[in-house]
Amino acid sequence: MALDLAIFERFAKIFQQNDIIFCEFEPGDTFYLIQSGTVEIVKIMGDIEKTIDILYPGEIFGEMAILEGAPRSATAIAREKVKALEFTRENFEILMMGNPQIAFKLLKLFTKRIYDQKRRFMILTLDDIQARVADVFLMLSETQPQQDPSENERTFKASIDDIAHWAGMSPDKCNEIMNHFASQRRIEIQKDKIIVKNINDFARFVNSKRKH
Amino acid sequence: MSPKAIQYKANSIIYFKGDINEKVYILKSGKVNLVSNDIETGQEIHDMIQTGEFFGVRSALGKYPREENAVVLQDSHVIMFTLGEFEQLVLKNTRIIMKMLKVFSNQLRRTHKQVQNLITTDEQAVNPEAGLFKIGEYYLKSNRFAQALYALRMYLTYYPSGKYAQDVTRYINMAESKAQNIPMSNASAAVQASSSGEKPLSDSAKDYYNGVSLFSQQKYSEALKVFQKIIQQAQDEEYIAKALFEIGRCHFTLNNYDQCIKQYTSLIQKYPKHPDLMDALYYVGNSYDKKGEKERAGSFYKKILAMAPADSAAGRKAKKALKELEG
Repeated sequence: MALDLAIFERFAKIFQQNDIIFCEFEPGDTFYLIQSGTVEIVKIMGDIEKTIDILYPGEIFGEMAILEGAPRSATAIAREKVKALEFTRENFEILMMGNPQIAFKLLKLFTKRIYDQKRRFMILTLDDIQARVADVFLMLSETQPQQDPSENERTFKASIDDIAHWAGMSPDKCNEIMNHFASQRRIEIQKDKIIVKNINDFARFVNSKRKH
Repeated sequence: MSPKAIQYKANSIIYFKGDINEKVYILKSGKVNLVSNDIETGQEIHDMIQTGEFFGVRSALGKYPREENAVVLQDSHVIMFTLGEFEQLVLKNTRIIMKMLKVFSNQLRRTHKQVQNLITTDEQAVNPEAGLFKIGEYYLKSNRFAQALYALRMYLTYYPSGKYAQDVTRYINMAESKAQNIPMSNASAAVQASSSGEKPLSDSAKDYYNGVSLFSQQKYSEALKVFQKIIQQAQDEEYIAKALFEIGRCHFTLNNYDQCIKQYTSLIQKYPKHPDLMDALYYVGNSYDKKGEKERAGSFYKKILAMAPADSAAGRKAKKALKELEG
């Protein structure tokens, strides 16, 4: 990506290794484009800090800041010395007009976020909690690079905590439902992955529980 | 390869809901209607495409299935772009991207709010104040003092009189003294975090967050005083507008309906484009409702319905209130 960022130098910010760039739950109205260094996105779930993502130069993070004043949904920590352009409502237009590539990248990111949120909404509006868990797998399957479509089995590198988060329920409750599915041989729970035996079976199940 | 001009006959379909394809379209002439279902009510939504308008952009860019049927109502002339062609076109035309960014960010806001409404009714929603406190506590327990200090100081910035303020102060002292007893590299990180961690927040902003925190603790009169202080000091225009809105909310919650109406009437005159305008109108309607002036209440709900999209949160709320009013 050949970007002329020299004139935007004044919007650059430096973070030292281990610095928190922003913290989950902090209200935020800025977002960042990494110029050098790497950033770790983490969330504290229960008593463990979970790495959600590691981001490299050229990547954007914190873009949900367009939801004015909304609390951050995760914590961003500099893994080494990081230089990043800081976008605010004030400099947004200047930075975007001068950098169509970044603007385009952000556009793509927004389409993904809108889809994620809508999909999340669909899951949460299911009254049947088993269907909610099944629908999380459908969602994960939709966003995974297409495996052989004639094959009904799907493998997911997700933990029960992840599933619980998406389904909007406690990990305990989620665990209970997953064990129930496992006893019906609809899924197989392994150490680092979950196998859904027949994704179409889950699709039919969820559709039968949706009100419209 | 270059963009392709295509003619469609009336009643044909350009793409179906559920289709996966990465084409983007512009309507040159004719009439195309996008038909989708509202994610909350399942109701059919019709979006008429204007001549010169792009469609199919979101699902093509996001690489997910189409969310609507694109139905041709009258013989139409459409130009079809591949994703690559579309990218080339808009990169030369940043204004188009900016316009789309605005549309998408509004959509994102709307869906985000819908999801939040669902989650907040859910028991396990974490409030940001408790969340920030728990993060500080977690890092302190894991002996990561720089991170703990960042989160704890952030807490005090936004919730100086919050529920956990005393514990937080105690934790900060602990973290600071412990940070000094550990090897240099970590200690210096702690000091750096403390200097770069505190973002300059205006006094008005601090007061505002304090007020919001008090309100969430149901200390409405105290919150009201804090918001009124922001207005008196008249320093930060952004937070004055925000505080004016919150004052109305305080009055409403304290059952001061006349004052609530007065507050929002002047707010609406002063800030006709206030981001919370619809909510302001709703509170006015609701205040009249409480005072027993049903007809006036109804006129405010109708005003909201005329201004806000029917499927927006404000639109739905107004519709519901109107229904209840009419019994």
